[in-house]
Order: sequence, then C-alpha cells, then structure tokens
Amino acid sequence: MDKRLIAGVLVFGSLWGFSEVIIGTGLQNANLPYGAIMTGCFAISFLVLSRMIFRRPGMQLGMGVVAGGLRIFNPFVGCHLCSAIAIMAEAAIFEVIWYKMSSDFSDLKTITLQSSMGVATAYLVYVGGYVTTQILTPIVGGVGFYLENLIIFMPRILASGLLPAILGAAVLPVILQVRKLDFTLKDRLYYPTALGLTLLCWVGVIGFSVILG
Amino acid sequence: MGKQKIIPILAMAILLVGIISTLYVYAIQINKDTITVNGQEYTYDTLLLLGGEKTIETVDGEVAGVSLENLVKSIGIDCTSCNKYTIKAADGYQKTIEWDVLKTGVLSKESRVYFPDTPKALWVRDVVEIEVN
Repeated sequence: MDKRLIAGVLVFGSLWGFSEVIIGTGLQNANLPYGAIMTGCFAISFLVLSRMIFRRPGMQLGMGVVAGGLRIFNPFVGCHLCSAIAIMAEAAIFEVIWYKMSSDFSDLKTITLQSSMGVATAYLVYVGGYVTTQILTPIVGGVGFYLENLIIFMPRILASGLLPAILGAAVLPVILQVRKLDFTLKDRLYYPTALGLTLLCWVGVIGFSVILG
Repeated sequence: MGKQKIIPILAMAILLVGIISTLYVYAIQINKDTITVNGQEYTYDTLLLLGGEKTIETVDGEVAGVSLENLVKSIGIDCTSCNKYTIKAADGYQKTIEWDVLKTGVLSKESRVYFPDTPKALWVRDVVEIEVN
C-alpha cells in the first residue's frame, strides 16, 4: 500500500477522532447540538477532503478505524466499543454513498449538486451512526436489544438528522472549493508533518481523557 | 436517470423525511407533571413516599432519587423478576430492561433514571412512564 496513503489515513483519521473527542466534548458542555455539528461539519469535511486529496475509495474506512480508536479513550453514552463502532459505521456509510462518485468530482459541477450531496451524505452518515449506537449500546451493555424500542424511536432519529443535513448542504460546497488551492508537500516534509499531527492528536486525546478521568 | 437528477431528488426526499419526522415528534411529545407506573399516575413526591430515597454511585458521581426496586415492590408486582420494564421518555425514547438492572437504579427529581453499571444510553431522560411487561 502506498506510504503516502497510509500517512493520510493516519492523519485524517486522527484529526477526525481528535475533533470528535475534544471539540465534541466542548460543544456538548456548551449545550450545543454537538452530534449534528460534528457530523455535518467536521466528519464531512475530513471525509471529503481526504477523498479529494487522495482520490482512493476505501481510505475513509481506514480513517474510521483510526478515529474509532481515538474515540475509545473518550466514549459518548459511556460505551467505549459502541462509540468506536459508530464512527466506523459512519465511515462505511460514506464509502457506500460515494462509491460511484467520480474521483475528480466532475459529477458535482453545480452548487445544487454539491449541496444535495452534502445533504445526503451528512444525513445518512449521521442517522446510520445513530442507529448503530442504538443497536450496539444495549447489546454491549448486557441489557439486551429490543427492536420495538428502536422502531418507536425511529421518528426521533430521522428528525435529528435534519440539522446535520442542513449543515452538510453548506459545508460540502465550501470544502469542494479547496480543490482550487494547491497544497503540495515534499516527501521530506510530508511524512514528518503527518507523524507530528498524528502524534499531537493522540497525545491530546489521551491527555484530555486522563485529565477528565 | 443520471446522477445529476438522482442526487437532488434524493436530497429533497431526505429533507422531506427530516421535516415530516420533526413535525411528528413535536406533535406526539408528551407534556405532563406525573409519571405513569404500571398504568397508574403518580407525582414525583408520591413516588418518593412509595419507594423511598436511595443514593447510587455512577460514572457521573453520586445520584439520589426514588429507589426503583422499592417502588416496583410497593406497587404490588408479585413476581418482580418475572417481568421486563420499559422506561419511556416524553420524546418517544424508550429502553426495556430486566429486573436485575432496574433494581439497581433510581429516578431523580428531574425525571431521569440512573443506573450504576450501565451505559448512559439507558439513563432515560424526561421519564413519563414505567411500563411493566
């Protein structure tokens, strides 16, 4: 596997996990809709940016594994494994949605198409992650999963996806403008920068968890 | 039908689903001051008299509230371990748990249930009903 790609997975996955833990916690403490903001803004940004730069399907799934690993240190709803798997599920859903998308994003020429893709991606990623958490948490917590509880709560889950969808509609066109900028790092800078950023994210998350815990 | 048509249609469908779901959730939201337990309405103070107060240790610190174990026993459930208990919130959220878990928990004055050894997803907020199944 391409070394640059592995470094990219590590960096973007770490940045995603870092933002989920640190920024997500801050938003939660400020009583803001952190789940919607994290998915509609941050998750979509990292997933699409990495797809834009590396143009490699499957990479985002790897990012989900890395981000999930970071999430284990600071889980939401008190379930380590559920948090990690929910993020991986979000990454998997993104891969499915963007599977047929052209690597040069020529399918998304107009703002309408870009916003529409933002709506669809953010909504489905958010709702998919939410449902995954609702299924896994009681199973992993040992209290059993009851399908009727999920079915009755589905309208609430479907409603909660509206805000991430609206955020995604705004964020995706902005992210796609980054295509016009030329970010190129030489190899001798790329790998140290990637390593440094990754380490910073992991140390930050683990340190944050130690301080909290 | 090409992607240029499918993507906007999908987005519109998603927004429609989101809007309809939001309206539905607000329409079915339950607003009441009492909590239904096994079909009977009780105020929090009455529940406190029936179940007594208990303090438990959770991941968020100590929490005091109505002892769910004593509450269920006091309302006349013969075989507490034979039933499952569904805790329902005002927004439709609900969790079904066994007696072994329920008996460790408390119901706080803010109408939230807490359990010492479970994920927070089971700590149902704005409880409006405890159903005995």
